[in-house]
Amino acid sequence: MEVAVIGTGVTKFGHIWEKDQEDLLVEAVYEAVNDASIELKDVEAVWCGTFYPFSGVSGNNFSDPLKFFGKPISRVENYCATGMDNIRNAAFAVASGAFDIVIAAGVEKLMDNGSRGIPFIEGIFPPYMPAVSAPGMFALAANRAFKEWGWSREDLALVAVKNHYNGARHPKAHFRSEITVEKALKAPMIAYPLGLYDCSAVSDGSAAVVLTRPEIAKQIVGDEYAVIKAIGMAVETIHPWSRPSESFLSFPATVKAAKMAYKQAGIENPYKEIDFGIVHDCFTITELINYQDMQLCKPGEGADFIRNGVTAIDGDFPINPDGGLKSFGHPIAASGVRMVCELTRQVLGKADGLQVKDAEVGFAHNLGGPYSVAAVSIVTRA
Amino acid sequence: MAAITSCSVYIPVWRLGRDEIARATGFQSLGGERSVACWDEDSITMAVEAARGIEENPDALLFASTSSPFKVKQAASLIATALDLNLGIFTSDITDTMRASTNALLMASNMIDSGKFERVLVVASDCIPSKPSSLYEQLFGDGAVALMVEAEGDAEIEGYTTYSKPQPGSWMKAYDDSMKDFDMRVDARYGYAASLQSAIMPLIAKLGLSPADISRVAVSAPDPKSYVGLIKSAGLKPEEFFFDRVGITGTAHPFLLLASQLEREGRILLGSYGEGSDAFCIDIKTPIRTNLSRMIESKKEIDYGEYLYFREKMGEKTYPDRPSPVKYWRDEKSILRFYGMRCKNCKTVSYPISRCCIECGSKDSYEEVKISEKGIIYTYTVDYLISPGNYNADGIHPNVVAVVDFENGGRAFMELTDVYRGKENVEVGMEVERTFRLLNEKNDFRYYYWKVRFPRG
Repeated sequence: MEVAVIGTGVTKFGHIWEKDQEDLLVEAVYEAVNDASIELKDVEAVWCGTFYPFSGVSGNNFSDPLKFFGKPISRVENYCATGMDNIRNAAFAVASGAFDIVIAAGVEKLMDNGSRGIPFIEGIFPPYMPAVSAPGMFALAANRAFKEWGWSREDLALVAVKNHYNGARHPKAHFRSEITVEKALKAPMIAYPLGLYDCSAVSDGSAAVVLTRPEIAKQIVGDEYAVIKAIGMAVETIHPWSRPSESFLSFPATVKAAKMAYKQAGIENPYKEIDFGIVHDCFTITELINYQDMQLCKPGEGADFIRNGVTAIDGDFPINPDGGLKSFGHPIAASGVRMVCELTRQVLGKADGLQVKDAEVGFAHNLGGPYSVAAVSIVTRA
Repeated sequence: MAAITSCSVYIPVWRLGRDEIARATGFQSLGGERSVACWDEDSITMAVEAARGIEENPDALLFASTSSPFKVKQAASLIATALDLNLGIFTSDITDTMRASTNALLMASNMIDSGKFERVLVVASDCIPSKPSSLYEQLFGDGAVALMVEAEGDAEIEGYTTYSKPQPGSWMKAYDDSMKDFDMRVDARYGYAASLQSAIMPLIAKLGLSPADISRVAVSAPDPKSYVGLIKSAGLKPEEFFFDRVGITGTAHPFLLLASQLEREGRILLGSYGEGSDAFCIDIKTPIRTNLSRMIESKKEIDYGEYLYFREKMGEKTYPDRPSPVKYWRDEKSILRFYGMRCKNCKTVSYPISRCCIECGSKDSYEEVKISEKGIIYTYTVDYLISPGNYNADGIHPNVVAVVDFENGGRAFMELTDVYRGKENVEVGMEVERTFRLLNEKNDFRYYYWKVRFPRG
């Protein structure tokens, strides 16, 4: 696959009480359209992701804020991988030749739903099962990894410290200050062993990309575009705790989505052939397991990566040079789209202050639900 | 005559010291401690816990209680379902009096003697609501006892008599939420001893016995003072009354006293009191072992504040919208009977039952299997964003949840209950056992299901 990203738009992420979901979407979309040097009317079709409300908004989630009527719009919803799945739908539509120019956008206004974690999903926990929060789901993996590999809360804290270091330097991040290991360890417990700084925040934000095929991109923006080489995606069970083979030490959806993406892009050794990555650090433990699931290292070696600085912005394989969900917060449907915007900035050499050296090929990864939905995309310089 | 063949007791793990009640409320302490049902326990769940200790399956189940959580809805059928009993058994609730347990035993005895039933399971269970800072709060304790009655066995019911006489006593009107009385001294003076005497004397005469033929008594009472008074006036030796360690477990109390006597041989008198008395003469020819001492000894103390939380006198339980009573009914086999499935293709045992295997996806190719009682924690978390019972987080009671691998296969996500404010030590690899509890009350429907706890004793 060769799909060009010719425009990106990302709002400031954070607790944006003064703007509603519609305002954020308009802001991101117009930024992307302007960046692509096109007009909104040039867009032939739209995929727009929103996770909340759960249903009842459909394609009107995009048409009405932008008064963009009379064209195909699909609302996409796939847990925390909504953003990347959204791009996947749009990218394949462009690649197929059905459309020339499309928009993939994601927007979420979590703060309008209350601020204590993300709202519960009706029906996800049947009456024979206890409910568990998002941090609770990933804490299950952390406790198992602690037991299996001797990882500790200090290892998790190192992930938070690294990502906040990067995020402190990103103008659009929700949180723009560095933290220390001590601060992370002393923070209130959210779902043992995950404390406050092990969790990404509930934030508002929106992001959008304009996609087309490379031959059209050249006519519009010359060489100033990035190329989506691959998008893999896999859906696993919503009840990992019911599956006897589930190790809680690896997220099979990520493993499969990554394999798919690597195959599409012809990558055999991701650690060598890819320069950097943006992974779904919804929780610190997730980032460590992602290193392994993305085949950057062997099972159990994830913590060594963070201890040895491999994934620092000046490390051998920078991960989340933008600051990740840790710094941006996680407006669910916006995150995956924002990640692709970040990859584009990096490969175009436009990541001021956070530029990864020689960033030519990068991947982005989304993981959603109880690790049941994952998507991985690979983006290169044109 | 019919005989009692086995006995199983359930006392909740929680104990509240009466000095602690006095400290918090100012109400004079009666000394000792009382058992307290956890927030997710009621007379139904405790009945299931007690009855699970009985091995044989009955062909009738009688539930005796003054505190069924339902005014309309038979508890016995729900209990029978949780026990995974045959749908064809006879179920009935015997209620409304502290004599309900012995009423049920009397019926069970007759059902057996009629020859129409082979095994009748009688479960007495009470979790009686009381107002904070009231005498009843200190008098009562929570618990349940199950007895199996068959045609022949180690503890033969030689005979019974019954005596019916309403006294002012204590009462709860249909919609009351705690016990009422006019003056308990009237009962103590004119009701209790007289009723028991009116039941017991004809029984002894009928059986051609003399008081000397009676080895011991298991006679309940509305309060410990009345009990001591009766024993003294009859010139009998007082037996363990469990007031100091459990409290009076309502209609389950005569059975609790009986349980403590079953472990020794001899002829005993079983007596109850409530709008009259029932009296039984039971000859224990071979002692029957029970789990009574384990239930008494395995305990954890709570403070008065947590007791108020348990009884929903403190804090507010709100919930995110969730289950459906229809789904609960449809998936009964997994939810209440706790069956999983064994895939005929890949042999994986999984929970709950689903048309396609969670490992290999084979469709409609499985057999239903009962998931075992015990398991090991594969992983867990203490989740501060949710409270036990899937209620919204209250900031005090985190939900302790665990992925449990059961002994004979099957893995399930379970709430770990009986953990004080989520503060007890939980580790990967620990052993847990199933316990039947209330999940939550929502949209005016009570959802019961299985949780796990650390093994008792």
